[in-house]
Order: sequence, then C-alpha cells, then structure tokens
Amino acid sequence: MIDLNDKRLQQFGYLGLRARQVVEGFITGLHKSPFHGFSVEFSEHRAYNPGESIRHIDWKLFGKTEKLFVKRYEEETNLRCRLIVDGSASMLFPNIKSRPEEMQSKYQFAVFLSAVFMYLFRLQRDAVGLSIVTDKLEEHSNAKSTFIHHQVLMNILQNHLSTLPEKEAAQSVLIPNMHQIAERIHKRSMVIIMTDLFDVNHNAKDVLNALQHFKHNGHEVILFHILDRQWEEHFNYDNRPYRFIDLEDKSTIKVRPAEIRDLYQKKFAELTHDIKEQCPKYGVDYVEADIQDGLEKTLLGFFAKRAVKTGRS
Amino acid sequence: MAIHFTDAEFEKEVLQSDIPVIVDFWAEWCGPCRQIGPIIEELGQEYEGKVKVGKLDVDHNPGVAGQFGIRNIPTILFFKNGEVVDKQVGAVPKRMLEEKLKNLL
Repeated sequence: MIDLNDKRLQQFGYLGLRARQVVEGFITGLHKSPFHGFSVEFSEHRAYNPGESIRHIDWKLFGKTEKLFVKRYEEETNLRCRLIVDGSASMLFPNIKSRPEEMQSKYQFAVFLSAVFMYLFRLQRDAVGLSIVTDKLEEHSNAKSTFIHHQVLMNILQNHLSTLPEKEAAQSVLIPNMHQIAERIHKRSMVIIMTDLFDVNHNAKDVLNALQHFKHNGHEVILFHILDRQWEEHFNYDNRPYRFIDLEDKSTIKVRPAEIRDLYQKKFAELTHDIKEQCPKYGVDYVEADIQDGLEKTLLGFFAKRAVKTGRS
Repeated sequence: MAIHFTDAEFEKEVLQSDIPVIVDFWAEWCGPCRQIGPIIEELGQEYEGKVKVGKLDVDHNPGVAGQFGIRNIPTILFFKNGEVVDKQVGAVPKRMLEEKLKNLL
C-alpha cells in the first residue's frame, strides 16, 4: 500500500511534477524539439526494384495505390545526453529558505534544471546519464533511454535533494572529474554541465581544457554557469560587518562589503570573463543562469537561442 | 507561395528560367513529402523574386520525373541556367535546404 503522506514520495512527486510543469508550460510550445532527434526517422520513399527484399515495402501504400515503394529511414544520431551536476559545497549557496525550493541554492537550481532536461529527454525517448561531482565522482550512471532508468535517475536526484540538509559539504574537484567523465562516456553525446565554476584549484584555462576534452571526443557541450547574481556578481550586501565563510575550504574573513565591493566585482568579472569569451571559440554553448530568474526564464532564453542556432522554429 | 509545375510547362518555367529554380518532386501519398511541403512553401515566400520555388507531382507528371530519373521521393532538384546543379533526396531540416539554396545565389 502506498503511503501518500510519505514525505519522500511527495517530494519525488514534486520534482517530477515541477519538471513536467516547466516542460509542458512552454517548451512544448516550441514547434520542434530543440535537440536533434533520436531513433530512426522515415525520410523518403524509393521505388521498389524487383529482386530486392520485400521486407521494407510500404504495404499500406500498396494497398491504397498499388504502387510498390520501399520506405527508407534516415538514422539520425541517437541523442545521448550526459547531465553533469556540480555537487560541491559552494553550490549550496545562498541557502535562502524563504525562496521557492528551486531558487534556494545553486545546487537545488541545478537539480531542478536536470529534472527538467530529464523529463524532456524522456518525452523524446532519448538516453540520459547523470553524473554528480563533488570531491569525487559521486554518482555516475550509464546513459539509457528506458522509462525505468529515467525514474531511477529522478529518484537519485530527489535523494540528493532530500539529504541536502545533512549533506557533508565537499570541496569541488570539478576539473579532473570532467576529464574522467569525458573519457568514460560514449562518443558524440550531448553534455550539459551545471556548475558555479568555483573549483578549489580553479582557473579558467583548466576549465577550458576540460571543455575542450569533451569537444575533442565529439561531444556537444552546454555549460550552465549557475550563480546568484545579486550576491555573487553584484555583491549586494548591506553596509555592515559580515563574516564570510568559504564553503569550499571553510576559511572565514570579517569584512565590510562596501570596502571590498569594487575589488570583488573586478575579480569576479576576471574569473568569468575568460570562460565567457573563450567558450564560443571552443564551440561550447555558454549559458549564464541566475537562480533568481527561475527555471522558466533561464530555459526560455536558452531554447530560443538554440532554436535560432539549429534553424528550428 | 510554391508554384505547381507540370510536364507541359516544365521546359519554359524551369529550364528556361532566368533565375535559379528548385523543384520538389513529391506525391500526395508520401508522408515525408508532406513533411517537407510546408518548408518548400516557406522557402517560396522567403526567396520570392530571387529563386523560383515549386513542386511537381510525380503521379500526374511522370514525364519530367522519368526524364530526371526520380526514383525516390521527396527529391529536390536545384536548377541554374537550365541545369541541375544540386540535389537533395529525402526529408531534411529547412536549414539544409537553405544552405544549398544560398549556394545557388
């Protein structure tokens, strides 16, 4: 007997439901999939040549018109998608409980975003794999397209959300794990990375090298740079003393925000500038995602841009 | 708006045309042809005056279809100065046709 009051069931339902709501809310309003297709597509009729196999004859057509034509299929690249979620300590920022769940922290935003992509790929019967990176490759599943596999992945995401409060925040070692994933997954996958780009040994060159590794192996790469612009980019704190804690290495510093705002903003801009500039050159789709914008706004911008890029309306 | 070519007018409308022409060889019963049909209509509107875009029903116009050895439908032939300069067989996304079309101009 299913206990409908079970909190986990309710939450699992919510994640799935929210993903569905987002997808059905506007993405299905796009005429065609923003991603290239899956399985095989019937692309043309060819006149039947006597002597060849009759297996592919379009018998329905023969029944209606007495014409013998063979159905030909164009196998589009089977879309395999790899979702990579940065599950490190810095992603737990800003942890504002008064906000809707998906906007409370960068991590929650990334999880909900992953759920939306998963739901979308499930509708398209595409294969999806999930990797969650902390100080190690915490989660890494193969890409499959079965319904059960999608459910399992959704469950994994939900478990990560449910255990968030007691989560032992880990330092991010994103770059080596990205290289590892690039080697482990099928060639020519679509790789969607969701990260705040705060790595313990972070520098733009290493990130770009890792992205290039994916490209080199024939993957299409989409980088969602997840941030809370109000706090992380604009440094919009009141002018009173604050104690800032580095979520990655736990070091603390007491400071008046106004005193360091200009310097902070300059350093933050430097940090992201190279990646923003270089991604298009490497053929990586860079998407800045402010968690306060919410899922719909972020995805609407992304899909609109993608529709233009792929020539699909 | 895509023009409907026929066996009778093909020589005049396509082969003697001053501007490039693309011809979609199709049939009513063919699913992929119906899929590509709206794209052809759109291209007809977008390139009006620059390229003549039209369709030819292979069932009703077997002469031209035979002349160009059309065995697969949809087949799209790209004509310039009365000669076939490019060909696309099967239903493809609009951008692929546009790329070929731009090469004609």
